[in-house]
Formats: sequence, C-alpha cells, structure tokens
Amino acid sequence: MKRRDFIKASMVMSILGAKLPLMALGKSHQNIRRKTGTWESDRILVLIKMNGGNDGLNSVIPVFDSLYHQARPTLAFNENQALMVTEDSGFHPQMASLFPIFQNGEMGIIHGVGYPQSNLSHFRSSDIWVTGSPSNEIWTSGWLGRLFQNEYPNFPDGAPNHPVAIQFGSANLLEFQSTQTNFATMLFDPEVMYAIINENYVPGSNDPPPATYGGDELNFVRELDLTTLEYSEEIYAAGQDGNLTVEYPNNNLGEQLAVTAKLISGGLMTPIYRLHIGGFDTHAGQSNDHSQRLNQTSNAISAFLQDLKNQGLNDRVMVMTTSEFGRRVGENGSNGTDHGTSGPIFTFGTTTIGDVYGSQPSLSNLDNNNNLLVEHDFRQVYSTLIEDWFGMDSSISQSVFQDTFDPIPFVANPLSVNGSPTVPDSFTLFPAFPNPFNPATNIRFELPSEARATIRVFDLKGREVQTHNLGKLNSGQHDFRLDCRDLSSGVYHIQVEAAGSVQSQRVTLAK
Amino acid sequence: MTNNVTRRDFLINQRKKADSLKNVKSDWPTKRVAKLYRQFLEDKPAPYYTPLKEYTPVPITPSKRHMTVDWHEDAAAHLLRRTLFAPTFSEITSTGVDTMENTVSTLLATQNQPDPPGDWVTEPPPQFDTLTEEEIMELIETYYYRHFQLIGWWMKRMATQPMSIVENLSLFWHDHFATSFDGVFFPQAMYQQNSVFREHCLGNFRELLRRISFGPAMMIWLNTNSNRVNHPNENFSRELLELFTIGVDNYTQTDVEEAARSFTGYVTNGVNTNYNYNQATGYGSYWQQRHDFAQKTFLGQTGNFDGDDIIDIILQQDQTALFICEKIYKWFVYEVPDETFVNEMATIFRNSNYEILPVMEYMLSSDHFYNENYRGCMIRNPLTVTQGIFRQFDIADENMPLRYLIDLQYFMGMIPNMPPDVNGWIGYRSWLNSITLPMRKLFASSMTEGSNLFGGNFDFQPDVIAFAQTLSNPNDAEAIVRDFAKLFFPLPISEALETQLLDALLDGAAVYDWDISNAGAAHRLRNLIKYMIRKPEFQLI
Repeated sequence: MKRRDFIKASMVMSILGAKLPLMALGKSHQNIRRKTGTWESDRILVLIKMNGGNDGLNSVIPVFDSLYHQARPTLAFNENQALMVTEDSGFHPQMASLFPIFQNGEMGIIHGVGYPQSNLSHFRSSDIWVTGSPSNEIWTSGWLGRLFQNEYPNFPDGAPNHPVAIQFGSANLLEFQSTQTNFATMLFDPEVMYAIINENYVPGSNDPPPATYGGDELNFVRELDLTTLEYSEEIYAAGQDGNLTVEYPNNNLGEQLAVTAKLISGGLMTPIYRLHIGGFDTHAGQSNDHSQRLNQTSNAISAFLQDLKNQGLNDRVMVMTTSEFGRRVGENGSNGTDHGTSGPIFTFGTTTIGDVYGSQPSLSNLDNNNNLLVEHDFRQVYSTLIEDWFGMDSSISQSVFQDTFDPIPFVANPLSVNGSPTVPDSFTLFPAFPNPFNPATNIRFELPSEARATIRVFDLKGREVQTHNLGKLNSGQHDFRLDCRDLSSGVYHIQVEAAGSVQSQRVTLAK
Repeated sequence: MTNNVTRRDFLINQRKKADSLKNVKSDWPTKRVAKLYRQFLEDKPAPYYTPLKEYTPVPITPSKRHMTVDWHEDAAAHLLRRTLFAPTFSEITSTGVDTMENTVSTLLATQNQPDPPGDWVTEPPPQFDTLTEEEIMELIETYYYRHFQLIGWWMKRMATQPMSIVENLSLFWHDHFATSFDGVFFPQAMYQQNSVFREHCLGNFRELLRRISFGPAMMIWLNTNSNRVNHPNENFSRELLELFTIGVDNYTQTDVEEAARSFTGYVTNGVNTNYNYNQATGYGSYWQQRHDFAQKTFLGQTGNFDGDDIIDIILQQDQTALFICEKIYKWFVYEVPDETFVNEMATIFRNSNYEILPVMEYMLSSDHFYNENYRGCMIRNPLTVTQGIFRQFDIADENMPLRYLIDLQYFMGMIPNMPPDVNGWIGYRSWLNSITLPMRKLFASSMTEGSNLFGGNFDFQPDVIAFAQTLSNPNDAEAIVRDFAKLFFPLPISEALETQLLDALLDGAAVYDWDISNAGAAHRLRNLIKYMIRKPEFQLI
C-alpha cells in the first residue's frame, strides 16, 4: 500500500461516511481579525533536521587523509567507494542521488557548522541550535519564534489565515516558541486532520479563565483548539488543490516531503516547514545505520527537488539540512562514533549557489577534546536565511540572535538591501550608566526625529521581565531611569525599540 | 490502489519504520539476532513521538506554607487528580469528608507487588548460537509480544489501581530513567526494571538509583554492557549525570569520562548481571578483564572508583537532591518550580539521606500544593486521558481493549516503556498540538459510545446510567452537571457554563423533566459527557 494511492479526495468521505462535517465552524472565533502576512516575498524554507547528530566526516569524506583512515579503521571509505565531489573529498556512496544535483550546481556544502564551546549533550546542543543561544546561556524561546514574534507581536491576531510554520513529527517545537506563543502547526495528512478536527470542535461561549496558573493553561488550550481548527481548513484546501508529479520514496521523510510539496503546489503560503529524519545517533554499528539514513534522506530530497522543478515551484523554495552536532573523529569500541562538535550543512535547490563553503575540517588541528574545530557558526547560516533568503533587515536578525553574524553567500538571489524598506537615520543608544547598577540605571538614547519608543528588559532565559512603553517622543536625547529593584541579581538584556529599529545592550544588576 | 483504507491503517502507516529502529543495537544480544530483530521491526508500526516542549514561564508569587491546609472536597479532588489516573466520584466525596492526613497516608501506603504479567519474567535467555534462524525469529516474535503484554499489564494497573500513588509515581520514575524496550530486547529486563520502580518508588533514592543503574535493562539501554577498559562508552555516565542526578552544567566532560571508566566491567546477559547488590561490586572473569582498575578523578575526588563510588559521590552533592525534587515538583505540582518550596523539599530529601517518602508527604500536605493558583495548571498526560476514563467509568475489566489503547498512545505520545528518548517525555504543553488535541477529543467521545475510533465497536459500551447512579443525585439534572464538572473539569465553573452544560444534557427539556429512568436518559447523558470531554477544560488537571 503506497501513501500516494490513498491521498484522494474521496478518502475523507470513506472514513466518515456521507456526513463530512462541513458544519458551521463555530461563531466564537469570528472576532479574531486576520490580515495578509507582510512577509515581503513568497519564498519558502524547508528545513530538515537529521536527528541524533549526522556524521559529517562520513558524509563529505576526506578520502585521501591518512588521519581519517587511522581514526576510522572499520568505518572509513576510500576514493573508489566515495563519489568524488572535489579533488580531495567525496560523498558517502549512499548519497548517490544527490551527486548529480551537486554537479548541476544546485547543492551547497557549508563546512564545519557548529558554535563555540560545543556541548556534547543531545538535548543541550539541540536546544542551542533551535534557540540560537550562546552555548553558555539557556534561552527559552526559539530563533524562529522570535522572528515570527517580530512580525506578529499579537499572534494570532494580525496573523495570516495560513499557518506561519508547519512542523512534522518529532522535531523540536522550541524552535517556534516565542515568549508569548508557539507559531508552529503540527501536521499529518491534511485531509484526515481536517476531518478529525472539525468533527470534534465544540463551539460555544466560554467562561472567563481565572487569574491563576490554571487560567493560563486554559487559555493555552483554547487558543490551540481554535487555531488548529482554522489552520486545518487552509491546509485542507491547499492539499485538495496541490499535485505531486514524482514518486516519493516510501519512508518517513519521503512522506513528509510529499505532503510539503502538495501544500506548496496547492498554494499554501506558509513560509517555513520543519521536517525531520531520525536515527543519526550512530554510537554502535554505524555503517549499516548511517548508510540507510543517508540513502533515505538523499532519495527523498532529490525526489522533492524534481517535483518542485516539474511544477515550476523551484525558484521559491530553499531546502536545508541541519543536525545538532557532528560526530567524534575517531570511531569508538562499538564500530560507531560518539557525539562530536561541528558538521556540514547542505543547501539545495536552484535557489542556492552550488558551491563548497569553507574547507574540509582539519583532522590534525582539533580542539582540547579531540573534536573538530568549528568553522562556521550556525547563526551565520540562519542570519543569512533571514536577511538574504527572506529579505529582512539585518536589524531583525540582530534582534533574533542578540548579536551580529557574518552572512555566508549561499543564496542565489538575495532579497535583502533592495527588498527592505530603508530605515531613516537609526537612533543612537548610549551605554547605560551606572553599569553594574543597583537598583536603577539610566538608559539614554537619541532620536533623529519624532518616534515611538519602547524599552524591554529580558533575562538570560529570554523572558521579558519589564516593558516600558514610552509613547511618542520628540527628536533629541532622552533619559529613562530603569528601576530593577524587583529583579534578582544577574545579567539582563535591555532592548530599546524606536524609529523602526531595535538596539540592545547587556547590563548587570548587582544587589 | 486500495479503496478500503481504514483510518487505523492510515495512521499506523504514518508512524512506521525508521523510528522503531533507532534504538536497536547492532550487536545485541548477538549480531545475528540483532539483524533479524531489525528486519522484524521494519514491518512493525512505531510509536508517534510528540515534539519537545516549550512553555512560557510565569512569575511565581510565593505562597504561604506550613499553614493548616483548608481541607474540603475541592482540595481532595485536586490531590486525587494529581496522584491517581483520574479519581472516581466516590473517592472525591469520601476523602472530602475524611482528613488530609488520612488521605495522604492512604495514597502513600506500601502496596503489595502485583502478580507478574506471565511466568516468563524470570525465564533465562536462550543460547542464541544453538538456534536456527526460524527459531530466532520465533523468539523475537514471542519477546515482542511479551513487551506489549507488559505494557498492557501496566496500563491496566493504572486504570484499576486502588487509591494509591504507586502507579503514577512509578510512571514518574520510568519517565526519569527513561528506558525503551526496543533497545533492550529482553522483556524480562523491562519487567525487572518496572518492579524496581514499583518496589522503590517511595523508598530510598540511592537504592533505587543502584537497582536501576545495575539492572540489565539500563545496562543494555545505555551501553554499560559494552563499556570496558580502554574502550570506554560514555553513554550511561553522561546521562547519569545530566538526566538522572545532577543536571547539565554541574560537571565537566572529564567527569563524564572518569565516571565512564568507573562503570566499566559490568555485564549482563539480558536477565542477570555480574553485579552483586550486597557487596556493591562486579565479579567474575568479565569484571576482571573489563573493569578499569586504575585511578580516576571524579568531581574533585580521586580514587580507584567503581560504579557505586560514583553514585556515592554524586549523592554527596546537594545539587542532586535539588535536581530530583525539582522534577518531582514538575510532575505533581506545576511546570515552573517554586524555588523556595523546591529548596525545602530538597533539604528534607538530603537530611533524610534520600528517602523519597518524607518528601512526597511534605509536598502533598503543604499549603503550597493546595494553593488555588495550582488548580488545573497541569495538562493531562496521554495515559491520564485514556486510563483515567477507564478508571472513572469503572470499565477496566477483562474486556479492556488494551491493544487499542496502546495504539492510541502512538498518536497521543505516551506508550509506557517506549519513551521518545533517554530524556523521557517532555510533557506539559508539548502533549498538545494540532494532532494530539483533536485525537484526544476523538478518542474520548468515541469511548463513551463504545466505538473504536479506527472503525467498529467494542464488545461493551460504558453504562452511563450505572455511572450516573454513583453520583450524588441522579434524578437531579443540576446535580448531575455539577458532579460531572467535579470529575472532568478541575477549574470552578460559572453559572453560564453550568447552564450550557444543562442545555447539553436536557436538549430543550426543563430541569424538572429530568428522570434517570426515562428511555432517552442514557443518550442524553452521553451527549453531556461527550460535550464536556471535548471542551478545553477537560485537558487540565
């Protein structure tokens, strides 16, 4: 039984009998106002997480490096086995279906992606990748969550009718979490999903939630209940209109990519999809497992790219793989490899410049734990997506990561600069004084012209702990006394938003 | 092309393959068996894993503590919702008129070990090299069946347990030491671990930690079994520190490596191990050959350490008590720990030399626990959804469709003995998303009809009339609505909602028209139940 055989319009009918619940969708949610998204482009990003930590050294293989062969007596590939993509490196044999794509110039290899002070725990490292935090800080919102929050501060009010992000399976939801909400919609088959959701939605008026933690949770469930209903309609409609033109491999990632292609083809304007494939945590008996996973990943991606091309959608879609870390250089005693640090990221499509970014990681120059050094920070890659792919101002990626990262030129047609509105003379934020302080410090900034200003204070976990709406201010210099007597000692981020841009700085409260 | 795809086939197919294989070790118990086991699992459906959680922390207002708890029916219901898999109406009313002390001590009382799911629980492992391929496949099939027998056995206990915290607390420890059967292979090992949870869940944490660490299931699950001198495997020692005791960032990579060296030399055949609990050491030739007898330095202490020494040093750290108490708090009280209260729990834990009972007693008897703020602030976990309904309706008998309930947990995300990974279930808001929330509602409403949501009916239908007869006044429509609200909604309901619920029950009739013996009463009761369990309020406890 193949999946595509039963994605049929008649399917829902057969499941539920004749009474497909095209019933009134409840009146209580009519009052939520929606607008069309203001993401400037119709560009789509498909992110694929290789769960468990993909072994980069056995994906893009330094076949002539004797250190590689010494480190991996049972796992190494030689130049006859690997598919040579550069003079000294080759793809894992099971990446054969990606080989022509690379040769066509539609695949980028970004070497050595990680972050400074690598953490070898899956959970921490995954969290660092999805929150975009420095490795010594714990943030509780995701990089995409903050990106969406910037666009839709009152979500779901003001958000478009389609989901802003779709997520399959067990990828980390933290990525789409903001301080307020979660922006991702979980998806399985669009038709079944729609039927089940509609069938079980209970309309009716609601009790006001009590002002307790219990009330907070009730609000959470209600909001999820409602947005799930609304989004399922949009997804269902797109699934009905969409087409597939290729056979997808019958594996989990293949199924996720087939649904993604169908929704894009059906006109769903959701800009971000997060997919995943598990099984890359190859501590033992790596050779079988890793081959199988790379084979599944490669075949599914190449089918997807072909499908997009057939349907003329290829110029709107960027595909990228990520993984929480690479693996150790040397194999362990169980014919596997343990958690490492950096690894390659792959980009795909006519939208990427097919090239090798950076160099094959050195096996002679390792860190203190004998791990690969990091050449690119993953936040460089993500900042490039925000600025070059989605065409947003660099101030936005700065506010998402609380730092500036140099872009990597892998996007074929960058939207930035010409796409984004220019901000007239950005305002100036001066260093807070005193700093460290107790209990108050002075925040000084200068506005080039009349503007609204807001000061926000975040703790290290990314929680907004104070907000001061200063209203409309005249041009010129302004001082604001920031009183933090209610907060505990520690480092805080002060964020000043005015005149269309955001600037921030760190201050230390020392009680 | 197929025209008769059922929803069940469809959904199961969605979850197939890769995930079920990720835990399978390539050489356990032998390479040959592992290869066949993998082939076997390729064709089996795998669980559906929910995403990792995220939440919006809310500022905590310190509450009054150590004060007399204002004990009444609402407080009793809160305590029972948090400790049982959903209380029955008579449990709520009877504990409401009893005292808090009695109720807490009943919940925390020692329970006898139940009869095991089968005689196989002590069966020794076979000599694999003497078996033919067919015999191995047959054995794999049998073991696989037993794993599910064990899961079903446990799920049934959740729905039929007496008024005791033991099953819920065992589930907590299982979540803490998250071990998945597909990587362990031997159902005997999973049963042993499950018995340890049940026996030690209210005992001493050091003993619990030892029994788990040196039990066959954990030794296989996190590779202690293949951890040997000169070829250390860090898997167990990392998780021991990060997830089981101290928590991340309180140790260094060197500590992980040194702990790994100390845990070398312990081996298991899947049922027995070379560890002697009484003498706290490994023994035999494997121990002599594989244990690293050289000096190690761990958390600042140096010595010729073995696994027990590492556990002792870990338990000398105050951080361990804090870490465990924070997890207990998050399971029973609220996702965002109250720092002061958790510190008090940790002090009790540390001062009692890691006895679990006093900590639980303190927590469940505190004014903090019963603070209004915490009513309904937890999201039901999926087992509380399915097993709770069976327990509340008192329909967990021999007809209980266990296989169906396990299937459902695929989609809702909480099959016992099958956690998503060694981090356990993320819980809290991650339980709910645009898949699992509709699925819960679909399950609950189909259950009241006695229908299988994948199509077809069960052999039984919940007797809603009998169920209503257990309430305070089955002939009073308003009383029925209020009593149902006590069972299904943790938050107080307004008059407006009460009216809405009455409408759902009466369907246009007047309050005084209600008569439980009327022909349509069962149908109407079902409508009310279905209405309530599909409301967002039902998802909270």
